[in-house]
Amino acid sequence: MTEVETRVVEQTVRIAASPEVVWRYWVESERMATWFGERAQLDPRPGGGCRVEMQHGPIMVGEYVELVPPERVVFTFGWESGGPPEIPPGSTRVEVTLVPDGDGTVLTLRHSELPASAADRHAEGWAEILPILVERAGR
Amino acid sequence: MQGANHEGAVGIDLALRAVADPTRRTILRLVRDDERAAGELADYFPTISRPAVSQHLRVLSDAGLVVTRKDGNRRMYRARPEGLAEAWAFLDDMWADRLGKLKAAAEREQAQVDEQARRRRRRK
Repeated sequence: MTEVETRVVEQTVRIAASPEVVWRYWVESERMATWFGERAQLDPRPGGGCRVEMQHGPIMVGEYVELVPPERVVFTFGWESGGPPEIPPGSTRVEVTLVPDGDGTVLTLRHSELPASAADRHAEGWAEILPILVERAGR
Repeated sequence: MQGANHEGAVGIDLALRAVADPTRRTILRLVRDDERAAGELADYFPTISRPAVSQHLRVLSDAGLVVTRKDGNRRMYRARPEGLAEAWAFLDDMWADRLGKLKAAAEREQAQVDEQARRRRRRK
């Protein structure tokens, strides 16, 4: 048996803005559209949808799982189009935490897979990344 | 792709073109866990000519998405694991890029909020 690989992408960034200001960029459609995609439709409550249209066609579709303003937001992350159908919305998970740091905020983002698909990690890896490749195509 | 002037960008460009085709995506799925011979792969696509399948394999190979070796007179293909690691690096890049934009937007907004607060204080 190969070890179970739970590949995680993790990033930390310090932002010179309060957690309250940063929070709004994760839950307000207009603000999310300024940085994440071209258009966003967000319904920020547990079970509420989030749908972000990327520049070159792929559409990210997720669902809010947890919201603790202005500290922590968790949502599922998948592709509705622009990628192979076997990567459905809900196949990965993004956790964002906001920690006050003086006048600013330290944001940590953790993009991981849902436990349900972790066993199939190797098989899904390729297909999972395709929409990302496609999304980057026209940069 | 514009600005494909360094090695990384060229690599991404080739990989993108390689995965843009549904036949090539199917081939990638077929070889990601098992090494397969070119002939075996061709059998999966009865409506596509063998030379056309060979051409698809060449595109995948040029993009670094599959590796090939000779086994007697058969040519064997399998997914290149490093290609996957590179792909995860792209995901890392995606978030780095987006979070950079988020940082800029939030900091602009905070500066405006602070400026408004200063003005209000001055008026008092």
